[in-house]
Amino acid sequence: MLVARASVSTKIESVKSSIGNTITISPAGSRGFEGGGEPLTSEQLAGVAKVDHVTSVTQTLSDRLTSTNTNLVSAIEAGSLGNRQAGNNGVGFQAPPADMPIRNETSTSGTGSSTQITRTFTPPVTITGASVLSTTTYGGDSITYTSGEAIDVSKDEDVAVVGKALAEKNNLSVGSTFTAYGKMITVKGVYDTGNTFSNNGVIMSLSSLQRLSGQTGQVTSATATVDSIDNIDSATTAIETALGDTADVTNNQESAKQAVEPLESVKTISTFSLIGAVIAGAVIILLTMVMIVRERRREIGVYKAIGASNIRIMFQFISEALTLTVLAMIVGLIIGVAAANPLTKVLVNNSSTSTTQTVQGGPGGARFVRGVGGNALSSARSVQADVGLDIVAYGVGAAALIAVLGSALPALMISKVRPAEVMRAE
Amino acid sequence: MLKVSNLVKQFNGASGKVTAVSDISFEVPEGQFASIIGKSGSGKSTLLSLLGALDKPTSGKIEVGGHDVTKMHDHRLIKYRGKEIGFVFQNYNLVPNLTAIENVMLPMEFAHVSPNERKRRAVELLDQVGITADKQKRKPSRLSGGEQQRVAIARALSNKPSLILADEPTGNLDSQTGKMIFDLLHDLAKSENTTIVAVTHDLSIAGKTDVTFTLKDGSLV
Ligand SMILES: Nc1ncnc2c1ncn2[C@@H]1O[C@H](COP(=O)(O)OP(=O)(O)OP(=O)(O)O)[C@@H](O)[C@H]1O
Ligand SMILES: [Mg+2]
Repeated sequence: MLVARASVSTKIESVKSSIGNTITISPAGSRGFEGGGEPLTSEQLAGVAKVDHVTSVTQTLSDRLTSTNTNLVSAIEAGSLGNRQAGNNGVGFQAPPADMPIRNETSTSGTGSSTQITRTFTPPVTITGASVLSTTTYGGDSITYTSGEAIDVSKDEDVAVVGKALAEKNNLSVGSTFTAYGKMITVKGVYDTGNTFSNNGVIMSLSSLQRLSGQTGQVTSATATVDSIDNIDSATTAIETALGDTADVTNNQESAKQAVEPLESVKTISTFSLIGAVIAGAVIILLTMVMIVRERRREIGVYKAIGASNIRIMFQFISEALTLTVLAMIVGLIIGVAAANPLTKVLVNNSSTSTTQTVQGGPGGARFVRGVGGNALSSARSVQADVGLDIVAYGVGAAALIAVLGSALPALMISKVRPAEVMRAE
Repeated sequence: MLKVSNLVKQFNGASGKVTAVSDISFEVPEGQFASIIGKSGSGKSTLLSLLGALDKPTSGKIEVGGHDVTKMHDHRLIKYRGKEIGFVFQNYNLVPNLTAIENVMLPMEFAHVSPNERKRRAVELLDQVGITADKQKRKPSRLSGGEQQRVAIARALSNKPSLILADEPTGNLDSQTGKMIFDLLHDLAKSENTTIVAVTHDLSIAGKTDVTFTLKDGSLV
């Protein structure tokens, strides 16, 4: 419990600090690729960078490449779920490869009795233009380059890096080219995020994408980083004032809260269990000590008869109890080290499942899960139960407290043993 | 020298007050061996526990070497019990989880004697009472009653007390072993000039002591 509690509180701190100090800026009313709202402009965001406490502003422009403007083929198979959703809002999806019929039309013309349309498609390729390359740009936590290297996002060139899955699907390697927006784009590197969905992307510099897609000066989202979590609310208000109605400004405090809430409850549970365990331990030691003292009354009488002080005898018995608790503590520590991680995981996972589900419920599936909340949650769930020195110190403290509490009454009993009792026959 | 004057001890029993020791006065000169005889319940053990400061008298005076034991504070009493008194009990009362030698060293530990000196004196005493080296390392449960009582005598002598109090030291032993234990106590007392007060039922033993007191219903007769 001690271990679980400590690792959870550490995690709460780190989750708060890692996701707490960024502010997300998106065009007012927009909802990802489902559209809505006017894009933000680079000039607007230049103003944001001047707001107090904002240390940096990352600007991104996202677009979708479809068969009309690229020769790239998505590496993602839509699957039946995707097909069904395409039927609902088949906007912007790629046309199927030529050898596949667009429509499987089983219609009895003339009679008009029934018409079944089955659409077959693959999802689009997401292209991102970024002013800074961050994990958010890639859409993954651990970025590795399988070949080549990252592009210089400060330059406006017809170069890009592509995800591993997309590269394999289209036989792309460093130096090869593909077309997008009618231009030849050269591949500079192939990256791996460890996530198939993110590995289906293309990343360019912001200026290049703005130029190629004809969206000069436009930005679909921006992230402002604030120097300290304490200034986040004031910075958010300042940005809102600066941008007015044109943008939705949100910070991650809410998602952080959401992510941390189940952890807080684990922390509370662990704290109560810890207090409970200390009390239970003290009661057990107390009862054991009372039994031992009663059983050894005569021995205590003998000690007194041959010149031992009460304190000396108490010390003797309490040190015996301490030896016992220390032994128990060592065993407990060994078990704790072995079981802490699995136990903490079970506790944390159980309590955060409900929250995860509410976050994951968005339309379109996985892509939306990996939003800020999702990241925070997955990071919050990867609590690592490390047994550090401080935990050992807490454990020793708890054990000492148990021993002292459990010894108080027996000590009193010891002082009450009449030395004359040694004279009585057994 | 042991001097007892007008010593009274009352207990608050379930059926009113019990006077276990009523108005006893006597003297035992230094180095003498005194025996106390009397029927069961006559107050012999109670008298001994008062002399050894294991219990406090209701009234009266106990002087040992010129100091009034009844006026001592608790802290002094602990020292008095440890340094001036050596106890020998009928049922030996050795500490069961300590070896013979550790039992003999224990009172010296309480009296803050250095570890080396404790060990030296314990071996010397155990040799004197006839406990061989291999038996010195045994726990009480692996010693005979006679051997345990020898260890108890060695323990009683460890801090060179001025008074040894023995409550039926031979009571659990056969007459032959009892006689040997008695002779041992007698010899040690003479060689170290220690005063001894021993309770006994054995009149042949009592007959050999310097002085014998007889108790009846808490009074000397
Ligand atoms: N703690 C006590 N509370 C009440 N009464 C007690 C207590 N100790 C002794 N007595 C009573 O005092 C009287 C003397 O007891 P004591 O043990 O001194 O007798 P004794 O001469 O040693 O007997 P025995 O030869 O059987 O050992 C007895 O009546 C006994 O019941
Ligand atoms: Mg008795």
